[in-house]
Amino acid sequence: MSTEPYQYIEDPLNVSRREFLTISGALIALTALPAAVVRRMAVKRNDYIRARATGLYQDDTNAKIRVSHANQGVMRLYQDFLGAPLGAVSEELLHTRYIDRNRALA
Amino acid sequence: MEQIQIRRTFQSGEVPGVIAIDAHRCKGCDTCKRYCATKAITGMFGSVHAIDTDKCINCGQCLVNCPFGAPYETVDAVEAVLSKLKDSNTTVVGIIAPAVRVAIGEEFGMPAGSLATLRMYGAMHKAGFKIFDNNYAADLTIMEEGTEFITRVHAAVFGEESPERKAGPLPQFTSCCPAWVRYIELNYPTLIPHLSSSKSPQQMAGTVAKTYGAAKVWNVKPESVYTVGIMPCTAKKFEASRPEFRSASAYQSKEHAAGSGMAYPDVDAVLTTRDLARLLKKMGIDLAKAPETSDDGILAQYTGAGTIFGNTGGVMEAAVRTVHAVLTGKELEPLEFKPVRGLKGMKTASVTLMDTRFNKEATVNVAVVHGLRENIAPVLDEILAGRSPYHFIEVMNCPGGCINGGGQPIPAGGTGWMGAMSPLLAWK
Repeated sequence: MSTEPYQYIEDPLNVSRREFLTISGALIALTALPAAVVRRMAVKRNDYIRARATGLYQDDTNAKIRVSHANQGVMRLYQDFLGAPLGAVSEELLHTRYIDRNRALA
Repeated sequence: MEQIQIRRTFQSGEVPGVIAIDAHRCKGCDTCKRYCATKAITGMFGSVHAIDTDKCINCGQCLVNCPFGAPYETVDAVEAVLSKLKDSNTTVVGIIAPAVRVAIGEEFGMPAGSLATLRMYGAMHKAGFKIFDNNYAADLTIMEEGTEFITRVHAAVFGEESPERKAGPLPQFTSCCPAWVRYIELNYPTLIPHLSSSKSPQQMAGTVAKTYGAAKVWNVKPESVYTVGIMPCTAKKFEASRPEFRSASAYQSKEHAAGSGMAYPDVDAVLTTRDLARLLKKMGIDLAKAPETSDDGILAQYTGAGTIFGNTGGVMEAAVRTVHAVLTGKELEPLEFKPVRGLKGMKTASVTLMDTRFNKEATVNVAVVHGLRENIAPVLDEILAGRSPYHFIEVMNCPGGCINGGGQPIPAGGTGWMGAMSPLLAWK
């Protein structure tokens, strides 16, 4: 008399419950590891962005003058040369136009 | 047979595509496509990829994120700048962006984010550059763009119109990011009137250098000034080549009718942060050991507002500080405008202030968007539908802002997900 369990055609995966749980546990650990590795690298990428941002905010905190309208050099540029913001000289030198690049261009 | 690429989206004189992909290095892993805002990369997964330059906005995010270093820049000005530096008849002016000073140190072994401004000035003086700090130009941009914003608000809210200049519509977009500008020109041309008419700080700097700088600061002939943008950005190489950016030359021809005639660009060359490091190394200059040098030149003076331009939210914060002071007559208190700081893709804030000119209280709604690929579409769709609640929107293509631009140093650990694993890979 055969002691082996009957092999059903519909059930090709012939594992016991214990084996099934062991294999599942192994697969989860396997997928969790690379996912964690990838995630750790992605998170690291933001570290250097944050470090550079902190550097610039520190530059701002250290500055004696922290608002653009108090930049003495810029004030002199307006006095000596440009006139006033949006004035004729500013318009000519510091402003521009844009183009629709879906139309025929030169 | 060579395939002639018909380029439809470039003006004569513009760089027809700053970034290209080296077919020998590309493995077809599709990482670049995860960073491309305009779906400009062609090629199926597993095959060699290529860049469609008519769609590409030159941002370089593919370049800094490719695990195999396949994308490369088609424009390299290092040799040209080196030869100009040796020419005693040329005044070479380095226009240094804010984001460069917190990253250039990384190319010389300093920790990420080291604020190396004074050493950078020292190294550049040694190389023979005159310093034009782009933060000065950033302050100038705030004056122009902030005033422009106020005229738009006064026109929209109080119907005040200037006879010389028709105010544009709200919301107003910042225009300092050349990738963003090309993005709008290609994909949303109907929204062009929303872009600020102000040039970017780089372009303002080039123009000022070749007019005011030449005449009042260095006392040289404008034609002998060679301006070099030193930028965290590959798109700036495209921006400098735009044919409309020859304002200084046009101005000089007008002012001095006997001018030399040939139009010259406001910005002659652009070096990325990586390019500058390479140039300094070629000259044998170690930035990490350069003497800390301050520059007292008027064009190197900048405020805290100008320096934060390199961060996402920085332009907006600088603008708010000035717009608040102009409208209310009082400084913003505190100066730190925290709601627009940080790495969230879309940041919004409201500023309620008393407009002393019209004696009315106004609430200005601002938005800050970075990482164009993930975050811009809903903002633009809202504007097209006429439902946008915002008055002023800062847009930066690169995630984090210019500090993470396509021209910045690529960390040794690798920015791509495979960077840390590459020594284990058989095909590297």
